[in-house]
Amino acid sequence: MSQYDVVVIGSGPGGYVAAIHSAQSGLKTAIVEREPTERLGGTCLLRGCIPTKAMLHTADMLETLKKGDQIGVMANDVALDMAKMQAYKGRVVQKNAGGVSYLMKKNKIDVHLGHGRLAGKGKVSVEKADGKKETLSTKNVILATGSTCFHLPFIDMSPERVLDSDAILEMEEVPEHLVVIGAGAVGTEFASVFLRYGSKVTLIEMAPAVLPSEDHEVSAEAEKSFKKQGMTVLTSSRVTDVKADAAGVKMVVETKKGDKTSSQTIEASHLLVAAGRAPRTQDIGAKGTRLKINERGVVEVDEFMRTGEPGVYAIGDIVDTPWLAHVASKEGILAVDHIAGKNPRPINYRLVPMCTYCSPEVASVGLSERAAKEAGYDVKTGVFPFSAIGKAAILNKTEGFVKIVADKKYDELLGLHIIGPKATELITEGTLAMELESTIEELLMTIHPHPTLAEAVAEAAHAAMGHAIHI
Amino acid sequence: MRSEVVMPQMGESVTEGTVTAWLKEIGDVVERDEPLFEITTDKVDAEVPSPIAGVLVERLAKVGDTVEINTVVAVLDTEAKAGEVPAAAPESAAKAAASTVASTGAASGARTSGATATALAEAPTPSRGGVPSREELRRTRSTPLVRRIAQEHGIADLSQIDGSGLSGRVTKADIMAFIESGAHERAQGTNGSTGRIAQPSRPAPASPGLAPGERDHFEPMGPQRAAIAEHMIRSRATSAHAHTIHEIDFSAVFAARKRMKAEFEERGVKLTFTAFMVKAVADALRAFPVVNASLDGDQLLYRGDINVGVAVALEASLIVPVVRNVDELSLLGIARSINDLAERARTKRLKPDEVRGGTFTLSNHGIFGPEFGVPIINQPQTAIISTGAIKKRVVVDQKTDAIMVRPTAIFCMSFDHRTIDGATADKFLAHIRQTLEGWE
Repeated sequence: MSQYDVVVIGSGPGGYVAAIHSAQSGLKTAIVEREPTERLGGTCLLRGCIPTKAMLHTADMLETLKKGDQIGVMANDVALDMAKMQAYKGRVVQKNAGGVSYLMKKNKIDVHLGHGRLAGKGKVSVEKADGKKETLSTKNVILATGSTCFHLPFIDMSPERVLDSDAILEMEEVPEHLVVIGAGAVGTEFASVFLRYGSKVTLIEMAPAVLPSEDHEVSAEAEKSFKKQGMTVLTSSRVTDVKADAAGVKMVVETKKGDKTSSQTIEASHLLVAAGRAPRTQDIGAKGTRLKINERGVVEVDEFMRTGEPGVYAIGDIVDTPWLAHVASKEGILAVDHIAGKNPRPINYRLVPMCTYCSPEVASVGLSERAAKEAGYDVKTGVFPFSAIGKAAILNKTEGFVKIVADKKYDELLGLHIIGPKATELITEGTLAMELESTIEELLMTIHPHPTLAEAVAEAAHAAMGHAIHI
Repeated sequence: MRSEVVMPQMGESVTEGTVTAWLKEIGDVVERDEPLFEITTDKVDAEVPSPIAGVLVERLAKVGDTVEINTVVAVLDTEAKAGEVPAAAPESAAKAAASTVASTGAASGARTSGATATALAEAPTPSRGGVPSREELRRTRSTPLVRRIAQEHGIADLSQIDGSGLSGRVTKADIMAFIESGAHERAQGTNGSTGRIAQPSRPAPASPGLAPGERDHFEPMGPQRAAIAEHMIRSRATSAHAHTIHEIDFSAVFAARKRMKAEFEERGVKLTFTAFMVKAVADALRAFPVVNASLDGDQLLYRGDINVGVAVALEASLIVPVVRNVDELSLLGIARSINDLAERARTKRLKPDEVRGGTFTLSNHGIFGPEFGVPIINQPQTAIISTGAIKKRVVVDQKTDAIMVRPTAIFCMSFDHRTIDGATADKFLAHIRQTLEGWE
């Protein structure tokens, strides 16, 4: 029986990054993955970030080509071939999964395929697909088992008509009318994909705004844009009843307006339930350990990702931090550095960039205007629209804006909010600036190349100081 | 030909020196390498030899002036005859006025009043040789936000704040904690040159409100005295001082010294009790590496070298030259090193680097006759031993109850209880006792 320094359970972006960093730190490392297709990469790679962004890319290209005539590109009969799109998406996923396997080999990490569980002090059991069990002996365990789609208890999932985000990835046809429950990142991204693929799309959100965790101006802009593109958006609304059969889905939607609640029945071809995700901690061998798992299934950890059980760490979607691939990866590195005795600095969760790849893209870091006010800051903001940016006009994508939230006292940069073209790329400037504790002045002192979309960030800094140039 | 003499670089970390005496008058002939003036730094007193031969024609620093290294302090004329003093060119006089820092008292006054926001606005001056000092790094490695906050609160010197960010960068949280502790207000009230405030929670010492009488007089605290004062207070605030006291029988050492003394003298080395003590300390440090360690944040830094500082009393202060790699030296080698260092310390010929890098300190002040003393740890070391006088004392043999007269000394070790527990401290001292009592 091999003796490992670190065994990672789960090969998603938290787990596999932790494993590589562990091996690179000179620790003998194994990774356990129970994925039936025997591919590594977890949700992010197999049925999350990577395949959805591939689908979004085809939607973007479709839209660009359809609007080609506006800029002199005459692409006639532009159409989507779902089968080819699926093949392309499959290639992207396969290439990335292969890349992770290669990295495991390169870093001499043992890959054990099967269901990994804690099995007593310093032990991890791996139950293989054929039922055979193997026990690994290790000094440390990193739990990175991730999350699954959260299903609403009153909705029966039917593989034909009522789908979760895993199932919708495998769609072979464009739905005629897709209803999406949940206007968070997952819901708005699929809504954006299928709207541009040609579906009629209805987006239903319980909160009073789409992307409810974003800054209120950003949410409003997103909703305005979705509607302009032809999407039906119902906020302050909830689905109360769902009936699905071979013909389609029938559902009752209640919408609150002030004190009044109105009800309507919507008939659609497909329903996507994108109401969130749930941590996968039911079957990790926690019994008899000092792991603390709360009622939501989340594992409690300290600032170094340590659980209550000595030598056992937990990262990613099973802990109570933002459920994002880049957060999981950082947590994996932090856990390994702690195991390796490197005295690492805990993660500053205030500086996690949030990215939604809907159209237009939305990205943010730090505090929203409202949150900054609630935190007691004397807030000032600077907003600059992409419509006044040359590069945006060139790209024929002038929707959206950059918004800076700052503290009046020291001009401290508290938050950066972007809705518009390449928002998810542009947000990095704000993340770096905030990591360095910049003030607005550093942002506007920084020379931004022209013409670029990034100019909008500098202009928003100028606007926050009361002197925007190009507006 | 006129030739300039500059304040020499005295060691890696020494950036300025105070002129304490001129050893030559204007018009005197000075040979190459002949002592020209004396300086004192916060580390060491030293005579500065003349780099060239000539006649001293100008002295550009007065006694008491604190001068940065590489500043011109004297002009020699290599062709003049004794007593001949050619007039200074106007250019060099102007340079002298610009380069000479005002006398110590005035300098501290200027620092207190002038060095607030302006110091922040200006780019940090690179130190000599292009390598920025730790303080410069700290200042440049604060964040923009921190510099803004510092400016508002009139905090000129960010190096007094412990930075928790990458590479010691001072973050917003660090400076806010510093401000909340009220430390910066105290810092502003004191001489900026004393630098860091060690312990924000410590209340500022009450002003004694001295009213000097007619027969009283003030004398400025020299840089060394000021440095010792600052180091001692900081050490008290840094380490959790605990103490253990052992009486050690020196009979065996007496016998050994008597036996070896002549032989050592033949080789030109005076064999002192200090050499035995340093040897015993080095052996014990090898057996107990934690006593040779330093605390860095929450990490213990175990030192590979065993470098024992030996305190030497000077007329008005104290200096601690360091015997390096003591564990690799024989008793003869140790004795020779100590003699050399102590002699040069008393004659101001020590180099500043020779007082750096100690990992443990022995303060052998028993020569003045005390029973024992309780020393303060020389930061960032973790322990220090102070020895009492070797005196004949009545001791009781623990086995036979016989009452005997023996030469003994009482050793007191102060140790940082954060890193060493009483048991370790006692075992360490017991190791020294066994070495000394069982000397062969």
